[in-house]
Amino acid sequence: MNSFYNLSIISAEIKKCLKILLCYPMELVFWCIFPIFWAVPFIFQGNALVGGMESEAFSDLTGTTQFMPYILIGAVLNTYVLSALYGMSNSLREESYWGTLELILGSPCSKIPILLGKALNEAVTSTLFAVMQIFICIIIFGLDVAVNQILPIMLIVILLMLGLYGLSIALAGITIQIKQSHSLIHTIEYLFYLFSPVRYPVNINPWIRMVSLVIPLTYALTVVRGIMLLDKSLINLWQNVVILLAIDIGLIVLGYYIFFYIEKRARKSGIISMY
Amino acid sequence: MEIRHYLRAMNAENIKEWKIELTYRVDFIRGLFEPLIFVLPFILYGIAIVGGKYSENLEKLTGTGDLITYTVIGYIFMGFLETAVWGMGFALRKEQWYGTLEQVFAAPVPRWVYVMGMALHSTIHQGLIILMQSVIIYFIFGLVLDISGILPSLLIIGIMMISLYGLGILLSSLVLIFKEGWIISEILYSFIIIVTPIAYPLAVLPSILQKISMYMPTTYGITTIRHFLIGEVSTFTVFDAVLRLLVIGAAWVIFGLFIFNIIDKRVRNKGELGTY
Repeated sequence: MNSFYNLSIISAEIKKCLKILLCYPMELVFWCIFPIFWAVPFIFQGNALVGGMESEAFSDLTGTTQFMPYILIGAVLNTYVLSALYGMSNSLREESYWGTLELILGSPCSKIPILLGKALNEAVTSTLFAVMQIFICIIIFGLDVAVNQILPIMLIVILLMLGLYGLSIALAGITIQIKQSHSLIHTIEYLFYLFSPVRYPVNINPWIRMVSLVIPLTYALTVVRGIMLLDKSLINLWQNVVILLAIDIGLIVLGYYIFFYIEKRARKSGIISMY
Repeated sequence: MEIRHYLRAMNAENIKEWKIELTYRVDFIRGLFEPLIFVLPFILYGIAIVGGKYSENLEKLTGTGDLITYTVIGYIFMGFLETAVWGMGFALRKEQWYGTLEQVFAAPVPRWVYVMGMALHSTIHQGLIILMQSVIIYFIFGLVLDISGILPSLLIIGIMMISLYGLGILLSSLVLIFKEGWIISEILYSFIIIVTPIAYPLAVLPSILQKISMYMPTTYGITTIRHFLIGEVSTFTVFDAVLRLLVIGAAWVIFGLFIFNIIDKRVRNKGELGTY
């Protein structure tokens, strides 16, 4: 019975989030196209610097001479980071703007299905955006995706999402406490952007390489690019998958404890309704 | 007399905006360093592609092979596009959020005076950001610039700003209709970034984008500034660039004001000014 209630809460939360999203169709189109758009200057820059679409120097760092698919894969997977940080982490702040945060936190149900509903909604929408982006990459830029690559890539994307949503549950909790958390969220986005191989290989600089080791996106990108660009199998890349899984477990446990610790504190100190 | 009145109103807007921004110091400081976060990937990616800081192909296309200096100058001065798109473009939307738009519009000055006040604030703020970035990048990467090119570059920035103010006026009015206008701003911003030769010369763009680029003030602004500072060779002369910047500037300002007046009238007639 309890799990039935929990499922209905998750489903209600997903329905609500989707209804709100569908009120802004421009936003849907935007997220399907623009993460690819933002990567286009890098493709033109590469062409201007080497006079073609392949670079031997790039191959020394990444194993592939083709910088265009490298950049496009980075852009597509980065969509999940943006979704986790700006969608999921900010979701409770949005409830606070709408005036519904007190009602949600005051409801006599566990907060886990609510958070799960929000996370699942973000997972579904960001996957929809990512699939659309992949189609654009295939049609416009001729990106190659073999059918047998889809399943292992999906597995890695799920692992990436688990870690990112663990982190964003912690951030959602911090938002209840510090309210205007966008500075913190921006800073984390910049850390991910600079210190993981979204646009360039991290072994270009030893400091960047070192920091990248604790970011889940680094491992997800390494595996997906390994599968798509270097024709490797998941078995060849198993170390990366294991590290990604370990980071996921760490982030989910950390996210859970941080959220519930802050939520309890916020209820006691009466700051939930403050802006 | 009226002009003095307008200037005072603009300055009041400028001071108000500074007061609000300086209340959120963490955001303010983050904003000073933010553009660095976005230029670094271009530099590091460029180094990864070329295997060093010098590109033979870039030299063949532009007359300068130093990819870091080329990219950094292009990117830094594009910061003024932020003034138009985000600073001015969101001026009225922000007043709407604060709940003060109706009061501002009831003030005895034309509405564009208010937007220009935001432009004044945003230009000073962006100038400060650009100065900070230039100092940091100079010390990190040791850029070699032609000092005698600084003064003419400032003049080019001034002329380029005329067009960007036109764009800012246009965007600030569109936000009154579309409300959540950040998407329009982001679309325009991203598009202008692609067709402007910031990290690559126009020669690598597809021909349709090259043609569109010829109508962008930033194309002439950035290329001419780089010509003065690092000797970039372009397909047009400095005289041509200034002339085209002036023509595009006049056209964008007239178009911006025209649309602004139409939308201003429309939202007042329909009573949409206070809606979200």
